[in-house]
Amino acid sequence: MNKNITIIFVSICLVLAITSCDDELPTMASFADYTYSSLDQEAGSWTPILQTSADQVAIDAPFDITSDAYIAELTDLKSASANLTDDQRKKVKYWTNNPLIRWNEIALELVAKYNLIPGPNEDDTYTLPNPASPEGPPAFPFAHPPYACRAFAYLSVAQFDGLISAWHYKYMFNRPAPYNVDDAIAPAYEKSSLPSYPSDGAVIAASSREVLSVMFPLEKEYLAAKAEEHLQSLMWAGINVRSDIEAGEFIGQEVAKVALARAAGDGMKKAQAPKAVSDSIKAAAFARFGWQWDNLELPTRPVGLTPLFGKVRMWNVPTVEEVRPIAPPAPGSAEFEENVKELKHYADNMTDEWRAIANFWQDGLGTYTPPGHWNRFAKDFIIKYKQNPIRSARTFAYMNMAIMDAGISCWDTKYYYHYPRPIQTIPGFKTIAGTPNFPSYTSGHSVFSAAGAAVLGYIFPQEAELCNSWAEEAAISRVYGGIHYRFDAVVGTNQGRKVAQYSIERAKNDGAN
Amino acid sequence: MKSNKYILFGISAFVIGLTQVAAQTPTDAFMMKQRESCVALIYDMSSFDHYWEGDLLRVNQTIETVTRNTVLPMIAIGLHDKVNLIVATPYVKTKSSEPNGGKFAGAKGFQDIGISLKGELMNKQLGPGKLALLTTVSFSTPMSNYLSDYMPYSLGFGAPEFGARGIVHYQLDKGIYARVTGAHLWRGQTEAERDYYYNNGSYYTALMDVPDAWNYQAVVGSWLWNYTLKVECNYQGLMSTSGDDIRKYNAAQPTNKVEFGQVGLTAQYYPKAAKGLGALVYYSQRVSGKNTAKSNNLGVGLTYQFKI
Repeated sequence: MNKNITIIFVSICLVLAITSCDDELPTMASFADYTYSSLDQEAGSWTPILQTSADQVAIDAPFDITSDAYIAELTDLKSASANLTDDQRKKVKYWTNNPLIRWNEIALELVAKYNLIPGPNEDDTYTLPNPASPEGPPAFPFAHPPYACRAFAYLSVAQFDGLISAWHYKYMFNRPAPYNVDDAIAPAYEKSSLPSYPSDGAVIAASSREVLSVMFPLEKEYLAAKAEEHLQSLMWAGINVRSDIEAGEFIGQEVAKVALARAAGDGMKKAQAPKAVSDSIKAAAFARFGWQWDNLELPTRPVGLTPLFGKVRMWNVPTVEEVRPIAPPAPGSAEFEENVKELKHYADNMTDEWRAIANFWQDGLGTYTPPGHWNRFAKDFIIKYKQNPIRSARTFAYMNMAIMDAGISCWDTKYYYHYPRPIQTIPGFKTIAGTPNFPSYTSGHSVFSAAGAAVLGYIFPQEAELCNSWAEEAAISRVYGGIHYRFDAVVGTNQGRKVAQYSIERAKNDGAN
Repeated sequence: MKSNKYILFGISAFVIGLTQVAAQTPTDAFMMKQRESCVALIYDMSSFDHYWEGDLLRVNQTIETVTRNTVLPMIAIGLHDKVNLIVATPYVKTKSSEPNGGKFAGAKGFQDIGISLKGELMNKQLGPGKLALLTTVSFSTPMSNYLSDYMPYSLGFGAPEFGARGIVHYQLDKGIYARVTGAHLWRGQTEAERDYYYNNGSYYTALMDVPDAWNYQAVVGSWLWNYTLKVECNYQGLMSTSGDDIRKYNAAQPTNKVEFGQVGLTAQYYPKAAKGLGALVYYSQRVSGKNTAKSNNLGVGLTYQFKI
């Protein structure tokens, strides 16, 4: 009898132990609204990225806070923010007073959702995603790292330019926040003296929706619903009246147009070159160097990933050639053989630590990619250092411009040198990471990461050392994974730092320091 | 009175994932007497070249044919005439056939230790045969630091599992029998080596929820040759209670909603001459499924029964 009771008791304990660790897993950054470390009153004078000036988008002067129109809006705001439902309260809490974080997370999530490589058809051919018929199959886009870094860059630049414009008008018109006009309004977020016209939240909502809807056309409705929820939450939270929001939305839409016009003509459309072009790029490399990378998948993919991404227009580097590294060691050379020996050593003696590093930084198919990983780090620092929305936008914008420039430079290098992967040069070699569909030299992870780390280190000097160590670990992770030689990683890291320096120089002179 | 106790025990009835294996498994109706023990060594060869991506049955030349070879040492001990302890420690090795498009390294190592307690609640003459009711509670947990988030080469799903199974077995005196079993499998979380993944949305953690599952079996069989040979055919099903689908042309992950139906044949032979020695062979094939391999399994094994 006692034995049976013990068994029952132990059984119940085990079930509880196993199921109790099934806590709600985190699906977003956990943070609440916070007091900004500064308001950056002068931010209206910062140099925008694409706008010619902070007032390129013109908005009307707001009506006075003593006017009937404003008082009517205030009354609406009071009724909208009073008696919130649980759902509305939840949404107010979700968006916070730095909604840039949430839009960045939305972008990361869409990248992860669309970062699926098209598989072969029945007849062993491959069909490419087509923006003209995004439903596919395969669905458009395939949000691979070059696509992702570009989406993040345009998103961040549009948000940043929009907020410079917003700050310009905020301090030009100085309309106080509703809760500073009427004591009866209790805002859901920390009070601040930041003028409320135009609404910075609305600028972020509208610019993000517009840019992401073009980058992810199948998500238009989802994004519109998110933006609508965000705009409504501004009133539920008691921080903006309708005219604040409308002016902000207008600015957001206008800056997005400028960003999207640049995107339409930046050369990305041609990046996924046809086979004939791809073959000639490969032949040119072979003629120049005597080696070429081949796709070893089954069935073979006829064209590597975006062979002409290296020709896409850069943000802050005048010419891609000036940041192109020197040639890698030739296969068969003593230096090359040293690198091969190292790769075999890792593969034959794989440790838990190397494996964990390879997997932690893999950011492969189905994830937010390495550029997404660095956006996550940026987000965490922004929260840690309590940056206000425009400071946050600046962090994202400079980092994502540098990361996209890094990607362009890396791809230029990859297809210029067309260097074979370890699985191609080492007979029978097996890897624990998936070998991507593009040449080896230089390592994309290394270049992206070094660029992201350099900009974050510039903006958060206290974190520079940490970021740098992350970048170096991300780089070597590819060697542990068996898909890059050490020289791909080391040269790539230097390349990323060098490319980022152009963005950092620009940031030093944008008036924000 | 005694049976009441066992029914109480049976309310929290239970199991394990080693469901395809025969011979004193947590899922059969075989009981060791007190101070009797049985050791088994089974070699299991499993392979697949088709798998279900959601509902879609497909091939994938990136992985080609994936084989999974398992060496499974097991021991069953009669703690009591009515309570047996079963412990299993599978060693698994996985790899793809050559050539393949992915060039992924396979994996090998000890998978999960499985510990089960099987109790006989009732065993009595009913009409022309005997009716037995049994229950198994089982617990398994990874024995090594294998990476569950490395499918299809991962050794297992990498999470603790607690199972409760009920077993009903009816055997005619002539030796023909039928058995049904049903179990609920509570599964915990597994830890990936990346701290972000997509599961119908972003997850900013290395922890992955492995879905709980229902498992059931139906078996018919017979003893032949004067109770020296046992032959049976079986069907078993597994249904996860939650989880996501494998995404298009993407790797599976431990959060997937796995379902399958599987048919199998098992034979066990206990030659009278070889005291305590037995041999077993089985074959099974998955016939339906979702987010899992359409695998087949061939197993051979030796069992040895002795007094402690």
